[in-house]
Amino acid sequence: MGWFGLLKPFTKRCYLSESDATIIRFAKVSYQYPHSERFALQNVDFSIRQGEFIGVIGPTGAGKTTLCLALNGIVPQFYGGRFFGHVTVAGQDSVETPVRNLARSVGEVFEDPETQLIATSVENEVAFPLENLGYAREVIKERVAWALRAVGLLGLEKKHPGSLSGGQKQRLAIAAAIAVRPKVLVLDEPTSQLDSLGACEVLETLVALNQNHGVTILMVSHSVERIAALASRVFLLLDGNLVTQGTPREVFGQSDLLARAGLRLPETMEVFRHLALRGQFAGPLPITVFEGQAALRNWRLKQSDLSSQPPATGHSDNSEPWIDLHQVSFRYPDGTQALKGLDLQVRQGDYLLLAGQNGAGKTTLVKVLLNLVRAQAGKVMVAGEDIRSVPVSTLARKIGYVGQNPDTQIFTASVGEEVAFALRTLGMDKSEIEQRVKPGLEEVGLGELIDRHPFSLPKGDRARVVIAAVLALQPEVIVFDEPTIGQDYAGARKILDLTKKLHRSGKTVIVITHHLYLMREYAQRMVVLNDGAVAMDGSLRDVLAVGESLGRFGLEPPEAVLLAESVRREGQSCPILPGELANHLVPPDSRTA
Amino acid sequence: MEDRQQVPMGDERKVVSTGGLAIDGAPLSYIVILAAVVTALAFIPFSVVIFAGGSFPLSQAVLSLIGWILGPVAGAIASAIGTLVGVIVAPHTARVWIVSIYGAAMISFAAGTMGGKGKRRGWWILVAAISLLSLAGYVGMAILANGAPVISVALGAFLDWSAVLLFILPTRLLVVRWIGSQNVAKLAAGLFLGIWITYGIGHVCQSVIYYWIQNWPAEVWLTIAPIIPVEMMVRCVAGTIIGTGVITGMRKIGLVRPAEAVY
Repeated sequence: MGWFGLLKPFTKRCYLSESDATIIRFAKVSYQYPHSERFALQNVDFSIRQGEFIGVIGPTGAGKTTLCLALNGIVPQFYGGRFFGHVTVAGQDSVETPVRNLARSVGEVFEDPETQLIATSVENEVAFPLENLGYAREVIKERVAWALRAVGLLGLEKKHPGSLSGGQKQRLAIAAAIAVRPKVLVLDEPTSQLDSLGACEVLETLVALNQNHGVTILMVSHSVERIAALASRVFLLLDGNLVTQGTPREVFGQSDLLARAGLRLPETMEVFRHLALRGQFAGPLPITVFEGQAALRNWRLKQSDLSSQPPATGHSDNSEPWIDLHQVSFRYPDGTQALKGLDLQVRQGDYLLLAGQNGAGKTTLVKVLLNLVRAQAGKVMVAGEDIRSVPVSTLARKIGYVGQNPDTQIFTASVGEEVAFALRTLGMDKSEIEQRVKPGLEEVGLGELIDRHPFSLPKGDRARVVIAAVLALQPEVIVFDEPTIGQDYAGARKILDLTKKLHRSGKTVIVITHHLYLMREYAQRMVVLNDGAVAMDGSLRDVLAVGESLGRFGLEPPEAVLLAESVRREGQSCPILPGELANHLVPPDSRTA
Repeated sequence: MEDRQQVPMGDERKVVSTGGLAIDGAPLSYIVILAAVVTALAFIPFSVVIFAGGSFPLSQAVLSLIGWILGPVAGAIASAIGTLVGVIVAPHTARVWIVSIYGAAMISFAAGTMGGKGKRRGWWILVAAISLLSLAGYVGMAILANGAPVISVALGAFLDWSAVLLFILPTRLLVVRWIGSQNVAKLAAGLFLGIWITYGIGHVCQSVIYYWIQNWPAEVWLTIAPIIPVEMMVRCVAGTIIGTGVITGMRKIGLVRPAEAVY
């Protein structure tokens, strides 16, 4: 079961105080970072009542993070720059009140929990802000226990934060933020780096904090489905402007505005928008999967065979596997059995989606493939060679790897140098390097940025720099590890479009992701790893068709699949895209088959 | 999407750093990171210390850079913290730990005062005064108390007197102008010359204490005369390579510039 199941009883019952007191007030706020010509926020004006759950959406660069940082005074007190207007949080002015005092009212949790965890044990982590604020020992002990109970980490006090799962780490960051009992909790993309299970843990915690403790929550997220399900009010930011706000239905009802912002509708709403355009559905469009399933009661699916429809296309054939893992097992020195007799074959021209929850063995599998760790049992063949006899540098030219965090793969001071880096180390001559660098950058759309410093570019572009650097080596297979994390919808699509282009040019593409909804127009085959072995392997459509059962593997199927599952009869093909589902839905009063 | 910049409707607020997240206008995170860099480089020896044993750590190459990035106060703090941790984890790089910390802080402080503006315009005089007194004590003790030949002392203390002289002369301002230049060659030249000057100042401030403690024989002055400039070249080259990359990168990335930075 995914996060949506756990939220079922909580949806849209956010806590509101009886006093309706305003806890946050932004009055005509504009802000300009130092050395920037643009305003990151422009005349932003809103009020938030105590106990509200606010969802903030917007494309990359819209000002979402700046808005979060303005709430606890980091903007402008840390960054400097020009600040106009007033931000008041729990009666305190964010420009005049020191950040350390604002921290008592506003807890902040960022996208990557690793950047916030500093202590050597879970309880020390939560105690740290309290110690800094000079609380008495007894109070600290009581608050630590309270905060850990609130986020469900009681019993893990002595564990090292580094040994926790992604979801647990993020919950620990939340515990440290709420230990000082802030009235407001601000979360900037708190679930984007987590798998479905981790996200579920975090969102459940947030709902409980909001409902049971009256904590006002402001959450930034690219996941419009989660915002639609959880938020009492949604803010849409664009170019630093608050362009609209209202209930999820009001905001997501403005589909043209969302399209202009490069955002998508919650998927259930998208399905019903298609139906409404065909005149098959009237009335307010459902925005959550539960509302959608209720609205589709008594609907049915047309009988048709979708197995020949996209995404089941590609270059796959019955040729010899290019990558062949046979009964591969790997155990880490600490005893963790990461791979258990894994069998997997990848043919030239495959576009493979590799999915599974954290700890399923995905990263270890890639490490084995790249010869970075050696399997203790089984055989790994790449291009007909046993990789035990292939040096890592040779293998790296055959299998390119684009890591989850592009920043860890950037070494030089310019985009051009970055792409040339590996080629130089291989001893290529200057003219050959030049022949590869410029076209490589043009291939990923960065031809104009050859002299820029990679870190002066947005994260999506940095990822493309790394992709260009990998492509310059002309590998046969390219592995993308969570390429869409931290990207907005448009950014994610840009990267995935690039993978599609590479696939069409004959490359074999392997994408590791838990964003299944993004992969439907790209991958042709899906492999689910669970507990170090292949749990499912088939066409993307067939694997997604198991619907909510994917929850067993910590995966979250797209809402279109869940809606289809609610009306599908046994043996029927499963539509997996919103438009495709709308095409195949038959209303209750229709006699057409 | 079209760019829709608007005129701010709210009152402009006076922004002051009240958050305790910066020291003397330098973000705390920068101070912590640069202190850590000093500590990490403390593990890397680049030359032996003649007559006293141990080795010089490569961290000495970046102490001046830290002063130019963070300013005199935050720079001195970062270098002192980094060196303190460095002498604990790599004790072979420090003869007298407190003197090593004093020297490191002095180098960054001297670098930071080179481009002082406003009320800080005259801070360099304090550095000049301390270094002149140190030089007088160092050279005076050698020549007057120990009877070392003047020429030997002049050659052995070439780094020290040349650094103090260049610091007092307008070369100090030339270094700051070059480091602030967008021209990479000028930036590198400014770093090279600036490291010579500021390290030399730190060197004389420390050496006077070491000389007082160890009181090496007169013959040593001539022996160290050719060695010290060679070691200095290593510091200057390493510091210039690191500094050019760091400053160019910080400019290109658009990272927050500390209030007292000169780059």
